[in-house]
Amino acid sequence: MKLQRKLQQLLKSLIQPLTAVLIGLLTGAVAISLVGASVLETYKVMWDGAFGNFYFVTATLARATPIILIGLGLAIAFRAGVFNMGAEGQMVLGAVSAALAALYVPGSGIIKILAALLAGFLAGGLWSLLAGWMETRFKVQLLISTLLLNYVAVLFAGYLVSRPFQDKSGSAALAQTHMIDQVAWLPKLFQGMSVHMGFVIAMVLAITLYIILRFTSAGYEVRMLGYNPFFAEYGGINKIKVLLFSMFFSGGIAGLAGTVEVLGSQYRYVEGSLTVPGYAWTGLMAALLANSNPLGTAVAAILLAALQTGAMGMERNTEVPLEIASVIQGVLILFVTAKITMNWWKVKKKAGDIHGAA
Amino acid sequence: MTYVLEMKDMSKKYGDFLANDTISIHLKKGEVLAIVGENGAGKTTLMRMLYGLEQPTSGEIVLNGKTVKFSGPHDAIENGIGMVHQHFMLFSDFSVTENIVIGHEPKQNGFFNRKAAAEKVKELSEHYKINVNPLKTAGDCSIGEQQRIEILKVLYQGADIIILDEPTAVLTPLEIEELLKTIQFLAEQGKSIILITHKLPEVMKVADQITVLRNGKVTGNVLTQNTDVEQLATMMVGRELQKLTDRIQLDGDPLLVVENLTIGGKNAKPILDQLSLTIHRGEIVGIAGVSGNGQSELIQAITGLRKIDSGSVHLGDTIFSGKTVAYRRNAGLAHIPEDRYLWGAAKEAAVEETGLMGYYRKRNFNQSSFIKLNSFRKLVRGWIDRFEIKTPSLDEKSGNLSGGNLQKLIVARELGFETDFLIAAEPTRGVDIGAMEYIHEAIIEKRNNGDGILLVSSELSEILTLSDRIAVMYEGKIVDILNRNEATEERLSVLMAGGNENEASTKTTTTA
Repeated sequence: MKLQRKLQQLLKSLIQPLTAVLIGLLTGAVAISLVGASVLETYKVMWDGAFGNFYFVTATLARATPIILIGLGLAIAFRAGVFNMGAEGQMVLGAVSAALAALYVPGSGIIKILAALLAGFLAGGLWSLLAGWMETRFKVQLLISTLLLNYVAVLFAGYLVSRPFQDKSGSAALAQTHMIDQVAWLPKLFQGMSVHMGFVIAMVLAITLYIILRFTSAGYEVRMLGYNPFFAEYGGINKIKVLLFSMFFSGGIAGLAGTVEVLGSQYRYVEGSLTVPGYAWTGLMAALLANSNPLGTAVAAILLAALQTGAMGMERNTEVPLEIASVIQGVLILFVTAKITMNWWKVKKKAGDIHGAA
Repeated sequence: MTYVLEMKDMSKKYGDFLANDTISIHLKKGEVLAIVGENGAGKTTLMRMLYGLEQPTSGEIVLNGKTVKFSGPHDAIENGIGMVHQHFMLFSDFSVTENIVIGHEPKQNGFFNRKAAAEKVKELSEHYKINVNPLKTAGDCSIGEQQRIEILKVLYQGADIIILDEPTAVLTPLEIEELLKTIQFLAEQGKSIILITHKLPEVMKVADQITVLRNGKVTGNVLTQNTDVEQLATMMVGRELQKLTDRIQLDGDPLLVVENLTIGGKNAKPILDQLSLTIHRGEIVGIAGVSGNGQSELIQAITGLRKIDSGSVHLGDTIFSGKTVAYRRNAGLAHIPEDRYLWGAAKEAAVEETGLMGYYRKRNFNQSSFIKLNSFRKLVRGWIDRFEIKTPSLDEKSGNLSGGNLQKLIVARELGFETDFLIAAEPTRGVDIGAMEYIHEAIIEKRNNGDGILLVSSELSEILTLSDRIAVMYEGKIVDILNRNEATEERLSVLMAGGNENEASTKTTTTA
């Protein structure tokens, strides 16, 4: 009986994201047939591109790694009821700090790695904390401040790698740091495959966060703050403290997303390498699709990564352009935002009805 | 005499749930029919069917001898049925006149004739002795005035049968008096009134005939002259009400001491003005006052939810001023909040999570910051048994509980802290009589235990039933404190309206 209800609840929470994915795929199908290709064949090629063989699976997981981490960071903020839109800036600052730490902190490989992870986490966290502090101190809306701080962070990181820390050794002077010493690279999980230790870090973090949110008093405080800040305050939860903590961890984990990309796949910070693939926004979508459940966010992140790697495979092997994936993602975004607006609207409506609940 | 309205064997099913089960009522011209029942008894459903907002599953509505079917409120209004809702539906930026004539504006050459409209409203207002200022903006009107606008609107639309849905819930005692007079006057003028309420004393004052509902069924139909409050309550609840436990005389030490508490307002007038109040152990101090006179701010200042400008709050030897909410709660404060949805619960959270607030910090339920959910669930199940909280499971969303059940959960949670001091703000708002009994009983029990209680309620009867002393608040000050035996509803009403004590005492002496 109880198990059955739990299952029902689980299914219920899955219905909406699954419908969104299904409608996304259907819209994609329309677009594919518009360009005159066979829908089933194209989707088959996409599937193969994402999960067709072991190599593609690992490529998908490698791509998913930063998306999972971004999604987890955002999930914390969303759970606390704050809209952190600054994952991109937090990730980029994390990445550049991690690269510099790995380059310039003396010591063995493991020390460099730990220093880089710490630096990446702190840089992202503090950047995010700045927005949180401005909200609590000066009532600067987080949604806006985090969004605007992205530009500052991305441009500042760009400056760092095009001036003081630029790698001038190569023939073409790209905006990038020197390459990190091989001892400080995150190990690959399988020989010759792109998925690296960062994926394990992301999954462990997803499980840890799930446990923290679900079973600990800190998690309880975060969730209650997100559900109803008045209730949280009434019950003795320190609103400001919990908000700042959530923002710090949210940004810190986004910083880790940049860090593991640098340490595990790029081995240096290259300007644009994290912003152009849109990791931050895909991560945002993953968190929203999964309703900020950490485990669900990880799964959604992997699916979204698969959509992207699959689309690349599709482009390699068919005439269908890569942009089909953008169409599908676009529809997903539409549905996810529609869901948010619907919920928001329902809440508003209910709030109006409160006094009618006699 | 024939009936102007009969509803015969009305039933309404929502899925498997039978909200109305073959309910019949009848109403004569010029008669006041009260429909009473606890929350969820089916009063509202019945009226929604009459007003065309719901379609009956079965049954028949007979109006002036003819069977009618309403597809919407529009039909009902056209057939002379008007409804004054519990929540006013006024355009706050429009004038009183515009709000009344809306939909049926007097026209001149196709244009809205404001002058004629205002005159009509004035006429109507004088004819029915319902006092409004036609030119005032509706948003500036008091709650009582807004209700009068609603009643006039219904009359303007030509209603002969007027449904009033819980009309006194939002009014001050004096406004209630006035409304009851209006109802009687309207009935004398030949209007038929259906009064939906759960306040029995009012029913006894104004109704000719009373129909009692319980669980969707009629449990009684009586003439007012043949019944009394006790009999009605028994029919409503389905059993006899218990007498409250006797209060033990206690002369406790001062427990909560509030001194010269001041909170500034936006204007020159402070919200709380040098307010001092002492509550002793084993004492219930009730705060009476028209809402908006600083009661909410006083509670927030004591609990730490609001900053104060000057003054101090102590609980026993503990200084509260400048301390966090958590600190004060740990020092022995529990708080039933006035608004259960705003402060008391998170609608999205599970029932057990709403119950967990505060407990998750306690050692019994927290092991190195992991919450011991299993031990906590035992506690919650205890509350559910004791207060008969109806919930499908502990995982149910708090927002899905009915208002009364959620209130019981909150009361159980706050009583469960077993603190020395409790703030109970509107502890029984929107709960049915059965639950009210439980909550009152629990509060008295806590008092007899030697704990101190500050009770804030907009129900004077609740204040009078429970309090040892009653402090009347007006414009951020405590204007008077009366002992239990010297307080009467009348005396309190005068003080609450800002009248001075001399007036009040002369009034009581003349009536006595």
